[in-house]
Amino acid sequence: MRKLATLALKEVKLAFRDVGALVTMLVTPLVLTLAIGAAFGTGGGGLSDVPVLLLIQDAGPMSQIVVEVFTSAELADLLAPEIVSDEAAARSRVERDEVAALVIVPPGFSQRIAPELARIEETLGIDLLDLGPAQTAPFPEELWPEISRLFLETVEMDEDPLVVEVYASPNWRISAGVIRGILTQVLAQINTTTQGTATIIEALLTRGSRDGENQDIDADPFLLAAEMGLDDTTATQLPVRVDIVSPSGRSFRWLDYSATSMAVLFLMFAVTSGGRTLLAERQAGTLPRLLVSPTPALTILTGKMGGVFVTGLMQVFVLWGATALLGAYWGPPPGVMAAIVALVLCATGVGALISAWAQNAGQASAIGTAVTLIASAVSGTFFPRMNLPEWVQTVSLVTPNAWGIEMFSALQSGQGLAEILPFLGGALGLTIIYYVAAAAGFRRQFR
Amino acid sequence: MCLVQARNLIKRYTADGPNAVDDVSFEIYDGEIFSLLGPNGAGKTTIISMLSTLLKPTGGTATVNGHDIRTQAMAVRRSIGVVPQELALYAELSAAENLRFWGEMRGLGGAALGGEIKEKLALMDLTERARDRVETFSGGMKRRLNLAIGLLGNPPLIMLDEPTVAIDPQSRRYILDYVKALNQKGTSILYTTHYMEEAQELSHRIGIIDHGKLITLGTLQELKQLVGEHEMLKLQLYQSEGGQTLTEAVGEIKGLHRASANDGEVTLNVDAAEEALPEVLSKASELGLSIRNIEIREPNLETVFLHLTGRALRD
Repeated sequence: MRKLATLALKEVKLAFRDVGALVTMLVTPLVLTLAIGAAFGTGGGGLSDVPVLLLIQDAGPMSQIVVEVFTSAELADLLAPEIVSDEAAARSRVERDEVAALVIVPPGFSQRIAPELARIEETLGIDLLDLGPAQTAPFPEELWPEISRLFLETVEMDEDPLVVEVYASPNWRISAGVIRGILTQVLAQINTTTQGTATIIEALLTRGSRDGENQDIDADPFLLAAEMGLDDTTATQLPVRVDIVSPSGRSFRWLDYSATSMAVLFLMFAVTSGGRTLLAERQAGTLPRLLVSPTPALTILTGKMGGVFVTGLMQVFVLWGATALLGAYWGPPPGVMAAIVALVLCATGVGALISAWAQNAGQASAIGTAVTLIASAVSGTFFPRMNLPEWVQTVSLVTPNAWGIEMFSALQSGQGLAEILPFLGGALGLTIIYYVAAAAGFRRQFR
Repeated sequence: MCLVQARNLIKRYTADGPNAVDDVSFEIYDGEIFSLLGPNGAGKTTIISMLSTLLKPTGGTATVNGHDIRTQAMAVRRSIGVVPQELALYAELSAAENLRFWGEMRGLGGAALGGEIKEKLALMDLTERARDRVETFSGGMKRRLNLAIGLLGNPPLIMLDEPTVAIDPQSRRYILDYVKALNQKGTSILYTTHYMEEAQELSHRIGIIDHGKLITLGTLQELKQLVGEHEMLKLQLYQSEGGQTLTEAVGEIKGLHRASANDGEVTLNVDAAEEALPEVLSKASELGLSIRNIEIREPNLETVFLHLTGRALRD
């Protein structure tokens, strides 16, 4: 046991004294995490026919604008929207990953997004938003006092923003981000229009008391808007907020995702490199020297892989701490710790497998790099797994990366240790397969 | 007492390949320095690898300190210290860390190991650099540390595989002196080298090996006797046809045992080359022959190797 500890400690020392290895293990994943988090902070593209459910609980005109945008020809390639009415059934479809997200436009949405206009329209029975060329005359003069009173009463209301919920599957992260982006744009546009309208009304109310001045402008709200220099900047504060909610309560953030996926990627680099050192030691003469010491070959092998395991653990724990300081969320600590241990065990299995069957250190290095990059590509390091073809998702389950990303995604979406037990089992099962396959290679090497 | 007994050792790396070690048998006795002398690729390292249990013999067997190398590998490993030809060190660790690591691999620990680390560092003149990483050491310092690691635990038999390759003369001298001192304290040593001078200086007995075969074995004196204890006087003439004439002319000079000519090269085996030389030069002058080069060789392992294999040790 003491020899095992000595061998493992030696591996850790060698790994952490190698500046190049430190850069690969710690600095590069941190930099990439930050870069990807910054680049994709609001979601990414490359999607089509994203299935989205629209549950419109608001009867007002504003919610119809949302529906019209989501079903517009311009977004026909990107979105595959479906209007639903049963909230429970819709949520269930999200939870079953049948659709990317459910957009819930709550009751009172129209009233909240343009409260003054809605109140005036409702009370006086007029359409204030019909500001197009069809309306050529200003509002009847007898309405001005009532419009004025209702407007001033309403604009003083100060309420919390209404929440439009995007109930999204954690497995459709980019899609959910895109849906939120569209929704936010729609709301911003509505807000611009309604705020602009309100401003025009306010101006009209002010000018209504003056006689005969600028009659042409008063008669045409567009001219008035132009004179007042209204533009999109009018709408800076949305009275409605869009929240992405996953079935278990947390929303997706690229920073979180890239923190864990980059950690998995560079863990793979580190452990395959660690496995390679067995062959490097053979070439350097230290392994033969170990083998003529009174230490069994199995102890040497176990100690060496143990050192690679401890190094990997330290690497991922350091990355967890460092990215957490940068704001990344990995999940509840007990689950994260269990996931890290299982992931690192599984990853060291890949390192062992490569070093067991490669002919020399150079070959092991090349194979390790290729395996790491391919495993990362197919498992969702660069793109969420659910956006990859079904068969790729299935194939990727032979990689530690896939299991690691599944575990961390589940933890990041709010699940706990109990929920990721199946993933832990999968990762450990894969670990056993790797080590059994590696053992055959080691027997050949140490014969 | 016989510490190593090798019997008909054979090693073939591939089934249909040549024998890297071909039916080699020898003994190493307690307290002796036994050298295997031979050119690169002769099979010296393979013999050490088999005796240290790193490689399994294809045929034959051996015992080390009474333990069979095939069936009692752990006991054999506890009885030996191996100093490999490569610098088997961790460059990123310090000298002291290397010694501690390898000591623990030998099963040493605690205060005893600490004391031994200090002792070995002092013996190898590395105390001042104990905490420095090995990657900053010179070649000679690395060689000394490589040797020190092999001595950890003070095993009864040390196997040194070409420990002086590619080092400066000062470090080489240091190692040779230390090997002698170590032996004087009772440690038996198996020493491989392709440097004839080292084998001559260190060894109680020498085995000469070539192409995997142990071609002869004995003390330095015994080996010299194989070529006769005569000095060799070699002359090169400008006249290639004069060699045979000179050979016949010097046939009566005192102390001559053998004379041969090959074109313009004349080789004379004599008791004392310097005494015979004036008379040989006089005869050559009388015959009108001009001497291009004169060489005097005392009998040594080089001549033994040349005598036995027909080629020089460093060919």
